[in-house]
Amino acid sequence: MREAAVVSTPNPLQRIPGVAIVLVLLVALFSAIAPGFLSVANLSNVLVQSTILTMLALPMTLIIMTEGLDLSMGAVLTLTSLCVAIVSLATKSMLLGLGAGLLVGAAFGVANGWLVAILGIPPFVATLGTLGMAQGLSLIVSDGQSVVGIPHGVRDIYSATLLGIPVPIVMALVTYAAFHGLLYHTRFGTYIFALGGNREALRYAGLSPNKLLIAVYAIGGAMAGIAGLLMTARMNSGHPTAGLGLEFDAIAAVAVGGTSFERGNGWLLGTLLGVLSVGVLRNGLNLISLPSSVQVASVGVLVIVALFLDGLRSRA
Amino acid sequence: MKQKLGYLTLPLLMAAAFTTQARADGETIAVFTKNQTNPFFQTVRVGADNMAKTLNAKTLQYIPTKPDSIPEQLSQIEDVVVKKPSAIVFTPVDYKAMVPGVEKINEAKIPVVNITDRSAGGKFLSFVGADDYSLGLETARFLLKTLGGKGNIVIIEGVKGSLTNVDRVRGFNDALKEAPGAKLLASQPGNYQRLQALQVMENLMQSNSQIDGVLAANDAMAVGAIEALDGANRKAQVIGINGTKEAIDAIKSGKLLASGDYNGFAQGCLGTMMAIRSLRNEPVISEIVLKPTVITKDNYQPFDVPLEQRKCPTFEEAGKLSAK
Amino acid sequence: MTDITKEAMMPPRSFLSQDAVQVFYRLLAALLICAVLAVLSDSFLSLGNILNVLRQASLTFFIASGLTLVVLTAGLDLSVGANVALSACIAGTVIHKTGSPALGILTGLACGGLVGLLNGIMVTALRIPSFIATYGMLWVLNGLTYWYMAGETLHGFPAGFRQIGSGYLFGLPIPVYLLLVFLGIGTFFAQRTVWGQEIYAIGANPVAARLSGIPVARRLLLVYAVSGTMAGLASIIFLSRLNSAEADIGESLTLPAIAAVLIGGTSLFGGVGTVFGTFIGALILTLVLNGMNLLSVSANWQPLVTGIIVILAVWLDMKTRRRAQ
Repeated sequence: MREAAVVSTPNPLQRIPGVAIVLVLLVALFSAIAPGFLSVANLSNVLVQSTILTMLALPMTLIIMTEGLDLSMGAVLTLTSLCVAIVSLATKSMLLGLGAGLLVGAAFGVANGWLVAILGIPPFVATLGTLGMAQGLSLIVSDGQSVVGIPHGVRDIYSATLLGIPVPIVMALVTYAAFHGLLYHTRFGTYIFALGGNREALRYAGLSPNKLLIAVYAIGGAMAGIAGLLMTARMNSGHPTAGLGLEFDAIAAVAVGGTSFERGNGWLLGTLLGVLSVGVLRNGLNLISLPSSVQVASVGVLVIVALFLDGLRSRA
Repeated sequence: MKQKLGYLTLPLLMAAAFTTQARADGETIAVFTKNQTNPFFQTVRVGADNMAKTLNAKTLQYIPTKPDSIPEQLSQIEDVVVKKPSAIVFTPVDYKAMVPGVEKINEAKIPVVNITDRSAGGKFLSFVGADDYSLGLETARFLLKTLGGKGNIVIIEGVKGSLTNVDRVRGFNDALKEAPGAKLLASQPGNYQRLQALQVMENLMQSNSQIDGVLAANDAMAVGAIEALDGANRKAQVIGINGTKEAIDAIKSGKLLASGDYNGFAQGCLGTMMAIRSLRNEPVISEIVLKPTVITKDNYQPFDVPLEQRKCPTFEEAGKLSAK
Repeated sequence: MTDITKEAMMPPRSFLSQDAVQVFYRLLAALLICAVLAVLSDSFLSLGNILNVLRQASLTFFIASGLTLVVLTAGLDLSVGANVALSACIAGTVIHKTGSPALGILTGLACGGLVGLLNGIMVTALRIPSFIATYGMLWVLNGLTYWYMAGETLHGFPAGFRQIGSGYLFGLPIPVYLLLVFLGIGTFFAQRTVWGQEIYAIGANPVAARLSGIPVARRLLLVYAVSGTMAGLASIIFLSRLNSAEADIGESLTLPAIAAVLIGGTSLFGGVGTVFGTFIGALILTLVLNGMNLLSVSANWQPLVTGIIVILAVWLDMKTRRRAQ
C-alpha cells in the first residue's frame, strides 16, 4: 500500500483481464457439465444472488483505489439490515425503514472516513475497530434475536419484477451505472483517482483530500445501508449476524476484478466480473453437487488463479 | 407363432414390474445442514445417507461454504429449486431468516421435511427434532440433583443469536430456578468453541474460588472447561449437550458428568425416512420430538456405538422415540 | 553497489529508537489497563490470574510474532488461523497413529512451515498480492481441513505431550517459557541480525532494498515460512492444551493475531514495528477479555468493547508517534 507511480484511467480494450478469462471459462465449463445451468431461471438466480455483494464491491473499488480498505462493510450491512427491520416493524413503513438503514450506514461511513482522514489511523485498523462496534451494536439492539413480522412492502422488493426483470438486478444495474458515471465522467471521479495516486495534486488545486476521503467512505456506508434493505427483504427479517464476512468477499471480488491495491487503478467492470465469477462458481458447484469441502477449496483456487493470470498479463 | 409370443408374456410382465419398481426408488433427497465443522451435523448427514441407502434412494448434501451463512443457504435453496430434487430434508441455518427460502421450496411444490431447528414458517410435511429447551432443562436438573440441589454454578453460553443457544440456556436457567440452594455466579459466552470456553473457565475460576457445577451449552465447551479445571487442579461437575463421541469418552472416564443427547443421527435418519415415505405414498409421522435423554455413566452403552456401525431406527421404532 | 551505500540505505537500529519509544508507551497502556482492572476486580491481581493471562496471551503471541515479520515487509497473512487448524489436525493424527509426540510436533511445524512457504511462493514467484494470496490459501486450507476431518474430533493425547500446553515448571506455565524464548529470539532476530535489518529495509522501501543488493525474494520467502511455522507451533500448543482438535479451531485465531500486531505498533505499510510491541498487543487483547470475564460483561457488549480498544490503541500510537517526531 505505497504511493502509486502513475495514475491512469483503465482502457479495457488494451487487455483481456484475468477475470474475464476466468468468467468465460467458468460459464463454458458449467454450461457443459451442470444440467440446468444455462436456464433462464438459474442465470437469473445467479444475477440476483450477486446483487448484495455488487452493492458492497462497487464502493469498495473506490475505497481501494484511495489505497484504503473497509473491513466494516459486512458488520455495517448487518446493522443496517437490523435497523431496516426494526424501524419498518415499528413504523409499518418500508421507506422509513430504508431511511433508517441509509442513515446508520452513512453514519458509519463518515466515522470510518473521519478515523482515516482526520485521525490518520490506517484504514485496516480503523475499519477493524468499527467492525467490532457495528457487530456489537447489532447484538445490542437485537439482543441476539432475529427481528420478524416486518411489513410485506420490504419483502416484496426482493421478489418483485420490473418489466420482467427482478428488482434487485435493476437496482444493481442502476447502481453500476451511477458508479460508472461518478468515477469516469465527473470531476469527483478524477479526484478519487488522485486520492489514490497523487494527493499532492489535490492540495495544489485547493481541494481537501480529507473531505474527499470521508465522502468516499460515506458512500461505502450508504451503499451498505441499501444492501441492508435488500438483505432484510431477502430474509424477511433482520438478523444480528447475517452479513458478517461479506467485506472479504467484496475485497476479493475487487482484487480478482483487476483493481490493484498498489497502483490506484480502478476498474468497475472488473469488479462486477469478479462478483459474477464467484457467484457463477458457487452456483455451478452446487448444481453439480460437488462436496462442500471441495467447494470451499475451489473459491480459494479461483481467487489465486485470477490474480495469477492478472499478474502474468501486467508483466508481459 | 402366437404360442411363442405367449411364452414371452410372463417374462415381459415381470420385466415391466421390475422396471416400475426401479422407477419408484432412486429418488433424490436434498439434505441441508448448517456447516461442515460441527460434528453434530456430520452425524445428521451420515444418518440421512444411511436411511437413503437402506430405502434405495440417493442423497445430495448442501452445506454452506461459510459456516452458518444465511445468504448462502438462501442461495443454495434457489439453486436446488432449479435442480428439482424429489424431496428436501431441511435444517435452517436460522429458524426465522430462512422462512422465505422455505416458502420458495413450497412454491416449487417440492416436499420438504424440517429437522433439528423448528422453522418459524413455511409448510412442512413433517418435523423431526429435539427440544433444546428440555435438553438444557433435563441435563441441568441432573447436575443439580447430583449436587444435592445446592452449590455454586456457572453457565458457559454458546453463540449469541443461535436458537439452540437461546433455548438451552433458558433450560439451564429454569432448572436453576427450581433449586433455590444453587447460586448462579456467572454466565459468560464461549461461542461453542473449546478454546474460548477454556479461557472463560480459567478466568471465572480466578474470580470465584468455589465453583461446584458448570453448565456448558455444548460438549466442545464442556471439554474445554474440564481442561481448565484439570489445569488448575480444581474439581467441579460439568455437563454438556450433544452427546458427541468425545463427550461419551469423557463420561466413561468420569471427567464429564453427563451430556444431553442431541441425536443428530436419528434426526437425519427419520427426516429422510419421512421424506421418502411421503414420496411413496406411505404413512408419515408429522411430528417427532425426540425424548430428552441425559447420557450418564449409567446409560451410555447404547450411545457408545461408532457412527459407521449405527443403524437407523425403523418406522415402528420411530413412533416410540417421540416424547409425545 | 558499495558497502558504504548499502549501509547508508539501512539506518542503524539501536534499541533506543523510535520503536523503543512506541513500545514504552504501549507498556504504559498495558499497565494502565492492569491498574483499572485491579481496582474494578479483586481477583485480577492474583498470581493465578496473571499466569493465566500470560498463558492465554501466549497462543495469540506465537501466531502474531511470525505475522509481525510478514507485516514488517508490508505484507499480510490471512491464512494463519486456518493453518493452525490444519496443522493441529494433521499433527494430532500423527500422534494417534504413531504414538510419538515428537513425530507429531515435527509434523505440525513442518505442515505450518510448508503452508507458509507456499504463501511466500505465491507472493514472490507468482507475484500475487499477499492479501489475496493468503486469503485464497485460507479457503484452500479450510477446504482441505473440512475434507480431512469430515466433521470429526480428534481427542485424547498422551499425558507427556499434554504437559507442553498445560504443564508447569517451577510454578510458571510452560507456554510462558516458550513465549519468553520466542520473544527473545524474535527481538534478537529483528533488531540484531542482518537478515532482520534487511526485512525492515524491504518494508520501508522495497525498491531501494533491491537496489542495495538485498535478496528480497529470499527474505520474503523466509518471513512467510516463519509465519507458517509459528502457526504450526501454535497448533502444537493448542493440541496439548485442549487435548483435542477440530476443523474449525482456527476461525477465531486470525483476527486477534492481526489485531495484536497492529495494536503492538507494527505498521501495515511496512518497515515499522517490533516483536515486543506485538507481545504487548497480544497482552492488551487478552487483558481486555480477561477483564470482561471477571466483571461479567454481557456477551452482547464484548465485540463493541474490543472494537473500541483496537481503535484507541492505534490512535494513541499515532498521537505519540507524532509527538516523538
